Amino acid sequence: MASRVSLKTKGKGGKGSKGSDEKSAAQCLKEWSTWAMKKAKVATHYGFIPLVIIIGMNSEPKPQLYQLLSPV
Amino acid sequence: MAGLVPPGIPAVPADVSHTAHTKHDEKTDYMNLPCPIPYEELHREALMSLKPETFEGLRFDFTKGLNQKFSLSHSVIMGPTEIPSQSAETIKIPTAHYEFGANFIDPNLMLIGRVMTDGRLNARVKCDLTDNLTVKANAQLTNEPHMSHGMFNFDYKGKDFRSQFQMGNGALFGANYIQSVTPHFSLGGEVFWAGQHRKSGIGYAARYETDKMVATGQVANTGIVALSYVQKVSDKVSLASDFMYNYLSKDVTASVGYDYILRQCRLRGKIDSNGCTTSYLEERLNMGLNFILSAEIDHRKKDYKFGFGLTVG
Repeated sequence: MASRVSLKTKGKGGKGSKGSDEKSAAQCLKEWSTWAMKKAKVATHYGFIPLVIIIGMNSEPKPQLYQLLSPV
Repeated sequence: MAGLVPPGIPAVPADVSHTAHTKHDEKTDYMNLPCPIPYEELHREALMSLKPETFEGLRFDFTKGLNQKFSLSHSVIMGPTEIPSQSAETIKIPTAHYEFGANFIDPNLMLIGRVMTDGRLNARVKCDLTDNLTVKANAQLTNEPHMSHGMFNFDYKGKDFRSQFQMGNGALFGANYIQSVTPHFSLGGEVFWAGQHRKSGIGYAARYETDKMVATGQVANTGIVALSYVQKVSDKVSLASDFMYNYLSKDVTASVGYDYILRQCRLRGKIDSNGCTTSYLEERLNMGLNFILSAEIDHRKKDYKFGFGLTVG
């Protein structure tokens, strides 16, 4: 009953009358996007240089593995 | 705006255009203007002469190419690093670090990554999705929380205009647009909005260039007025001057500098109205071996910075 009343009175305190365990879509989206940005930041931090090395080692003409480490 | 008018203009008769060209007096074809330079490179010539990358201490860079596109770089930097301080005197802390970098440079894709011993990563990506659309990303990531920055740019290059949209962390959004108005003159504008600091700004820029000189001007509502003028005196010598005025904080800086590009070396120097003189020398000792000397003397703050370095490869 309470939820139907809240649907009819759309603008008036719609968020307040919902249950405490239901979050609004915007808040969910914001939390997920923050979580995704944090994971992306860690992934980029650890993975960017290995990614560049992998792409470089697979480009033509393929360099040899020892060339990565030797100073010549 | 270019692209909206179909290219069906009647051509100027051939003999008239030939004589017009020989008189160096061409009638400007407003439908065929050259593409302007990107908005962020507006002051490019002035920055090259007046703001070389001076450093203090030792710098050693070794770049090793594994193939045409892929290279690794190792850098050692030792010297005092300035930390921002509230008082008038500069506080310097001696630091030494090693930086490893990997570069992949392709006509369509460019990936540059640099990582330091303290875990800081500096990453740049540039990808040409189509002939006209480019995506660029730039990130400085650190282990400390809330100290990392990232920015994405989407660039669209039209026939005689360029536009760019930027998105950065901390809800930073920006857009800029530059259009060629005549073959030598281009005008542009930018807007930005910084959500975290609740600031927004709008700015305008103009650039006039010929073979011999470049003059640029930029105004922003953050109070900055920046004017610069570069004269290419000859193939080897360029002179530049720069004027920056902040009308909100009443801060003025003017500088004059030179750029000599000689066969074996490149010498740049400038003197400032803040009492600061800078000089930067890059000498080519041998093929692939460059010796660098950098000096920055700030008479007002009594801050003297001298650096030397070697670049291999």
